[in-house]
Amino acid sequence: MAYEYEEQEEKFIPMQKGSKAFRRLVKDIFSMKRDSTILVIAVLTTAIAATLYPLALAFAINSVIAGNLANLYFYAAIFFMLYIVQFFSNRERTISSTILAQSVIKSLRERAFENLQYVPVTFFGRVKTGYLISRITNDGETLSEFLTFQLPQVISGIATVIVSISIMFHYDFNLTLYALIVIPVLMGFTISLQSKVRRNYLRTRRAIAAITGNLSENINAIRTIKSFNVEEKMEQRFDGLNTTNFKANMKATLLASFYGSIIRIIEAVGIAIVLIAGAFQLKAGVTSVGILVAFVFYVQEFFEPVVQLSQLYNSYQSSMVGVARIYGIIDFPKQSATENAESSAKFHDRIEFRDVSFSYGEDDALSGINITIRKGEKIGIVGHTGAGKTTLSNLIMKFYSPTDGEILLDGKSLSQVNTGEYRKLIAPVLQEPFMFKGSVYDNVLFSNPGATREQIDALVGRFSLGEIFRNLPEGLRTNIGEMGRNLSEGQRQAISILRAFIRDPEILILDEPTSQIDPYSEKLIIESLSDFLKDKTLVLITHRFSMAALVDKIIVLNEGTVVEEGEFQDLLNSDGVFHHLYTIQYGNSGDS
Amino acid sequence: MVDLSDETKGLGKIFAVFGPLAFGLRYLRERKWVLAIVIVSSVIATLFRLLVPIFIGDAVTSVEKVQFSNVEYYSILIFVVSSVSGGVQFIVNYGSQYISQTYAYNLRKDVFSHLVRKQFGFFEEQTSGDLLSRSTMDIEASRNFILNTASQLIPTLFLIIFAFVFLFTINPYFAGIFTIAVPILIFIGIIFQRKQRTHWRRIRTYYGQMNEQLQENIVGNRVVRGFSAEEQERKKFSGTTGSYYDEYIIVAKLRGKYNNLMPLVVSAAATGILLYGGYTDVISASVVGPLVSAVNIFNLISFPVSFLGRLIVFSENARAGISRIQTVLDPVQDENLESGDQQRLRGNLKFHDVDFKRGDTEILKNISFEVKAGEFVGLTGRTAAGKSTLVNLIPRFYDADSGTITIGATDIRKVSLAMLRRSVAFVPQEINLISGTIKENISFGSSNDGLETIRWAAGIARISDFIESLPNSYETMVGERGITLSGGQRQRVAIARALLTRPEILILDDATSSVDPETELEILREIRKDLSGTTVITVTHRESALRFSDRVFSLNDGVLTEGEFREKEPVASGDFLKGENMEEP
Ligand SMILES: Nc1ncnc2c1ncn2[C@@H]1O[C@H](COP(=O)(O)OP(=O)(O)O)[C@@H](O)[C@H]1O
Ligand SMILES: Nc1ncnc2c1ncn2[C@@H]1O[C@H](COP(=O)(O)OP(=O)(O)O)[C@@H](O)[C@H]1O
Ligand SMILES: [Mg+2]
Ligand SMILES: [Mg+2]
Repeated sequence: MAYEYEEQEEKFIPMQKGSKAFRRLVKDIFSMKRDSTILVIAVLTTAIAATLYPLALAFAINSVIAGNLANLYFYAAIFFMLYIVQFFSNRERTISSTILAQSVIKSLRERAFENLQYVPVTFFGRVKTGYLISRITNDGETLSEFLTFQLPQVISGIATVIVSISIMFHYDFNLTLYALIVIPVLMGFTISLQSKVRRNYLRTRRAIAAITGNLSENINAIRTIKSFNVEEKMEQRFDGLNTTNFKANMKATLLASFYGSIIRIIEAVGIAIVLIAGAFQLKAGVTSVGILVAFVFYVQEFFEPVVQLSQLYNSYQSSMVGVARIYGIIDFPKQSATENAESSAKFHDRIEFRDVSFSYGEDDALSGINITIRKGEKIGIVGHTGAGKTTLSNLIMKFYSPTDGEILLDGKSLSQVNTGEYRKLIAPVLQEPFMFKGSVYDNVLFSNPGATREQIDALVGRFSLGEIFRNLPEGLRTNIGEMGRNLSEGQRQAISILRAFIRDPEILILDEPTSQIDPYSEKLIIESLSDFLKDKTLVLITHRFSMAALVDKIIVLNEGTVVEEGEFQDLLNSDGVFHHLYTIQYGNSGDS
Repeated sequence: MVDLSDETKGLGKIFAVFGPLAFGLRYLRERKWVLAIVIVSSVIATLFRLLVPIFIGDAVTSVEKVQFSNVEYYSILIFVVSSVSGGVQFIVNYGSQYISQTYAYNLRKDVFSHLVRKQFGFFEEQTSGDLLSRSTMDIEASRNFILNTASQLIPTLFLIIFAFVFLFTINPYFAGIFTIAVPILIFIGIIFQRKQRTHWRRIRTYYGQMNEQLQENIVGNRVVRGFSAEEQERKKFSGTTGSYYDEYIIVAKLRGKYNNLMPLVVSAAATGILLYGGYTDVISASVVGPLVSAVNIFNLISFPVSFLGRLIVFSENARAGISRIQTVLDPVQDENLESGDQQRLRGNLKFHDVDFKRGDTEILKNISFEVKAGEFVGLTGRTAAGKSTLVNLIPRFYDADSGTITIGATDIRKVSLAMLRRSVAFVPQEINLISGTIKENISFGSSNDGLETIRWAAGIARISDFIESLPNSYETMVGERGITLSGGQRQRVAIARALLTRPEILILDDATSSVDPETELEILREIRKDLSGTTVITVTHRESALRFSDRVFSLNDGVLTEGEFREKEPVASGDFLKGENMEEP
């Protein structure tokens, strides 16, 4: 299975190397000073208690041998006390490691989410929704296991290794060197596998992202799938991805399990070397029996965490791939820096397109556009589908920037204006009404959380939209479902209109706002609109000439250029595109 | 169905830990033998690993006795035993992963196949983001449990039983003390289990919610930007991640307390043995060797016991995940897609006294009408009057509450859904294209057609010129949901997609609302010309399209009337239908 899309995505969202991502992660973790300190202390306390209780036990046994009951009780009490200490330190360890892990994950997700709000709009044309979701949720989750359970182990492991190595050196320098012979082998082995391990885990992350992406697309297209009765075809396609995921995981496991087994064998070799070397040294009289015995004990103490640490290596790699994928989103450059731009935007006079051209990539969607929208002016934009009307409105909204030429707000280039502030002047009705889960009220309030329900009710009354919502079981409080699925399309458009109007904006951009609304309701809306629009600037894209009454000037677009411009009557009288479109809609269509 | 409810009584409660395992076995099917191998291997690996310290002990003894040849012998033995245990451990690791991945694979497949068979109603209740998390992370949560039980449960239990038997052979009283600890452990386990439950449910739910909000935010990114609601959205999302975090911390606190309480109970028992054994030894002046072994054994099992505690955590997470997955696996809302090899449905389309309710609202009342085969009819009416609802009944996306719909002489409920939907092509208002090439999109419903036919369909939909003007023509990629196309282009691709199936009945539900009237009319004309045998129902608000239709129906307040077209001045459009009450709502 080829990963065409995935590779493209990874090129588009570059990924840091594992070690870099790790360093960054460690920084994130240790920036939480309190909890990381608690964690380290708790881990060390546990480790110390663990080394002490054999001692307490030994003293207790000695007391038994000595027949001293009082001492037995005393040491038994200490023995138990140590466990109680461990109980508390372990408890703190559990809690603080979870706090660290979950805080890191939470902050990664939130930062990724935040950046998504500011990446250029084009980003969403390149990256699939399900894949993005997978990065933020699933990839984030790979950290959970690693940070919660394994990080404490790493800390205690490193501590134990340091302690036991020092003791070993203290006992017998040469013998320690023998014991450490296998360490370079271990490291060499680990490093030689590194890139392979990483690639394997990357493959598993891709595979689960592909599954999520496919599911997301299928669920969203479920109506189409059902209409065309292609459920089984979709199942087959999903099965392909599911199988890829299975194989990717098994492949990663194969290497990880192989690695784990080899590590155990290397450990055995290490112990055997110590034993044999020790025996020789003993023979040569360089060392004593007592030291060798103690030594073997510490070699085991030393190897245990080494083996554990190496086994964590897989989990480490897998989470580093995951975290690097989230960092990719966090680091994605934001749409043109507006931070340093003037912080407030005002609209005094006009918006001007100066020789504006725009291309989505290949051909120009708009070329050589010169138009002026004066404050308070009402402009209509008409034209065939694909003419570039929506593109034009996208440029005004600053969703995209012109490839050529300039858009000026009161003479200042739009690229110099703070995007957020500028958009506060505008309220759009987009061609595709988008609804959030929640009630009708929630959806309207989205654009203006300060507004009240009464204001919405008043607005509904003013534009006679009550009739459109009459069927809703709980009126405007009705839950409309994800993407407003429990509504008719016309109702969604009505909400979209309300959402724009409740902002009482200076500039209204309406992109085919009533295309799915019946002409009678539309008429009612139009009747109240002229009053509402007083002092407002309007850009209206429409195929409905009934709306022409609202506008002062009409711009006709054709294949990305302005072909006609003027007042309704003038355009109607001239024999151009506009006249043609008009006749089609209202004149005699002929052959019916 | 495996019982995952809270209702299990008494001791059964602790066995409920294995509920997810029983659920998992269903998805292992003929791979159960792998599980058996893994379990056996895990026991062997554990045994061999226990041998290593014994041999080291022996080696040390030989060193002490200055028997150097024995040292070499033991060194080799250690190496061999470690290699064997390493090899067997490989089987355990790989095998348990195989088991858990097989489980996840089969479960995911099952989930998907249920998912695509769900009725529309299901998707109106669920959100896609949440469904995503059910099919990924919830499965993952249960997979993790299976992975851990497969590889570690049996050795763990084995170690505990081994410890018990060993204690018993040393001194039955020691075993007695151990026996007292067991019910306490179980009791703690049950409380631990119970206290976590609601929190895992919430964790899994919040995870779903996170997916849901991401989905909404990404798809609706233009609305968010358009209204500068970025900050608001960020707060909403961090509300969810915050709740998710809080629940995790609550579980961590429970874990910190109860999971560590378990080894503490074990060590209390060890202390008990130390005191009791020490006391009797002092009194009877016997050797201390057995006492030392007994206390050490206790040390040995405190890790397995705390592992069992962790297993409870995994199990609760898995259980919460599985109960969410079961919403999808529940076949109640599944459609039956079995296709009988019947003929396509042909003939007049007839509604007979059809009623349809959504909740308590009557959307369609007593609808009766007939459309002749090959006729071209327009359907109009006020927004939210129920037009879409009505046409959705034809391919049975919803079923009428009463009354019948027939095509030819056949009741549409009497034929397979597959056949019905192959006869009826439906172009909805809300267009959904898939990411892929334009060609893939057009041939979505009938992938066997060649480029010529695709061109033909695109030609009728008046989109072929545009497509061919693109540098990659039919191989041009359209973005997700078709976002690289303009609204009207998308609608026309969808029409071409429907035409390619050469349906008997074509339903256009306001499918040209973003297409300019001129192009729309051309499309309608082409359809009438090239698909002359096809019955066409077009839902529209446009005068020009209505004028083009053979007959026009109007739906208002759930009642259908046949209207006659009235020539009228355009500006006050909306009152162009005679004899019905559009003027006074
Ligand atoms: N995101 C995009 N990526 C690439 N091409 C696009 C994108 N959006 C629109 N286009 C193309 O730009 C042209 C103009 O589209 P648009 O402005 O949406 O037209 P309309 O006038 O119907 O609103 C169309 O040919 C369309 O295919
Ligand atoms: N999936 C749904 N769930 C609940 N109510 C719905 C759903 N779809 C539509 N409705 C409601 O049914 C009524 C009719 O909707 P619809 O048939 O889409 O109207 P039309 O197509 O005539 O505009 C509306 O009040 C709408 O809110
Ligand atoms: Mg458009
Ligand atoms: Mg509709």
